[in-house]
Amino acid sequence: MTPATLRRILIPVGFAIVAILPSFYDFALQGLAGRAVAAALLALSLVLLTGMVGQVSFCQYSFAALGAFTVGSLVVGHGVNFWFAALLGTAFAGVGGVLVGIPALRLRGLLLAVLTVAVALFFDVFLLAPGTWDGFSGGTLAWPLVPFPSIFGHLMDNYTFYLFSLAVFAIAALLVWNLRNGKTGRVLRAVRDSEVASSTLGLNVAGWKLAAFGVSAALAGLAGALQAVATGSVAGGSQSAYSFQYSVALVATITVFGASSIFSATAAGFFIVFAPQLLDMIPGLSHNWWPLILGAILIVQLVTSPDGVVVKTQRDIAHLMHRLAQRRRPAVAAAHSEAA
Amino acid sequence: MPLLDVRGVGKRFGGVQALQDVSTVVHRGEIVGLIGPNGAGKTTLFNCISGVESPDSGRIAFEDRDLLGMPPHRRARLGIARTFQNLQLFGSMTVLENCMVSYDAFAHRGMLADALKLPWARFEEHRARERALATLHFLDIEEFADLRAQDLPTGMQRRVELARALCLRPSLLLLDEPAAGLDADETIELAGFLRKARERLDVSMLLVDHDMSLVMRVCDHITVLDFGRVIAAGDPPAIRSDPVVITAYLGEAA
Repeated sequence: MTPATLRRILIPVGFAIVAILPSFYDFALQGLAGRAVAAALLALSLVLLTGMVGQVSFCQYSFAALGAFTVGSLVVGHGVNFWFAALLGTAFAGVGGVLVGIPALRLRGLLLAVLTVAVALFFDVFLLAPGTWDGFSGGTLAWPLVPFPSIFGHLMDNYTFYLFSLAVFAIAALLVWNLRNGKTGRVLRAVRDSEVASSTLGLNVAGWKLAAFGVSAALAGLAGALQAVATGSVAGGSQSAYSFQYSVALVATITVFGASSIFSATAAGFFIVFAPQLLDMIPGLSHNWWPLILGAILIVQLVTSPDGVVVKTQRDIAHLMHRLAQRRRPAVAAAHSEAA
Repeated sequence: MPLLDVRGVGKRFGGVQALQDVSTVVHRGEIVGLIGPNGAGKTTLFNCISGVESPDSGRIAFEDRDLLGMPPHRRARLGIARTFQNLQLFGSMTVLENCMVSYDAFAHRGMLADALKLPWARFEEHRARERALATLHFLDIEEFADLRAQDLPTGMQRRVELARALCLRPSLLLLDEPAAGLDADETIELAGFLRKARERLDVSMLLVDHDMSLVMRVCDHITVLDFGRVIAAGDPPAIRSDPVVITAYLGEAA
């Protein structure tokens, strides 16, 4: 069995489990599952940016906020159709990503990280502050509940919206997978490995980086639009679910799992939402311990397997299957190792 | 009309005059050597031609088109390819992928066609693979196609960089010390590949190297730089016996 066939079996099974399981849950847990899908989509946006072009971003939740607040304002304040609002929110976030990408073009590593932190803090204290969006949202002071949208004239409930979000994530993951295995992925990895060589081979390095920033931010905006509905609110201020600390937790989690894998993005999304809940169930612990524990995991993982837990596991499985195949076909294996 | 015309190029880094009034010409079908002691400004001149740096003065024309102010990727698309003294391979990618990148700049499909795996995206992908494999075959490194570039020995990495540059189908190839780290046999093999590339792929070259056996073997014409200035120019026998060149290389005492 090759890793590809294993993938072909595991992915549908995994999706079926993730899709069916929340139907047995209560309303609150279904809301959490919806948030987890949004977080997975955000993690996917980092796979594109960090895993493929090697750029860091500590402001993915700020792009998500652009999507979420656009949907909240337009749907609640102006009665705009959810579908149109979500599309607009995704586009706004994409434009925001390109705008952040322009100053980021000349920066790498630590300085780029600092720039994205500055963007996130700007969003936190200005755009996410209570009152900022009131004019835009038609004078809605406190954000009321964002209603569920209808699909084909049928009003969605908590669970059907969760299924819809999951489908959106599956499509996005498939598109990112195709990008990664096509010309785009190759070009982005080339830009990551050597910008000077890429440019002398005819690649417009700045253009590709901006495109990556834009698409990544658009994915984050889409995640925000979904999360606004899944959690039913886009509260700003101290209760904001889009603040800097969540972006930091997202980067930390995707680093633990491995930023180059779509699998790990999915796992990171669910982990980031459910792990604090699990801590609440353990006697003597609570979700307040979460940042401490996440930090500790990050340190241990960076020391032991810098590529990330999921990536390392995938490599181990591939290695194991290769070994098994070798044992079965010694002649072929010998020829292979000779070629290597 | 010369293929590449470098006229009076100057470049200063702080207090160091890296290039001063440097001129050289490459005609179609020629292999021109650029030699000089370390720090003579050879790599700086390469950077100015490929667009990685821009000169302070002078003019650089390629096929009568002014290159100054043109970004590196547009110069590459005009047909100028280069290799690097300090190798710049895409280390995490396979040898084949490294070469396929050279076709990607010319591919007309965007991210959307890629994401949706549209038919022409697949077709172009297939074509890029076939062409890259043909070039690897040309340089006799097909068997390494699926190995990661960073896992190869330096000599092989230099050849992969040459393959990647040739994949761009350049009319001018800038080679920055292609023989560095190669042993005598590999250098002779490299000289063979360079001549073969000129004949079969119609590539003209500007070649920087310290290995005089290579330079004397393949170059039609040689320009000698020292402290950022051209101190001599001519065909290999003339350069070999030029007293100014000998002094520059061996020091005043000689």
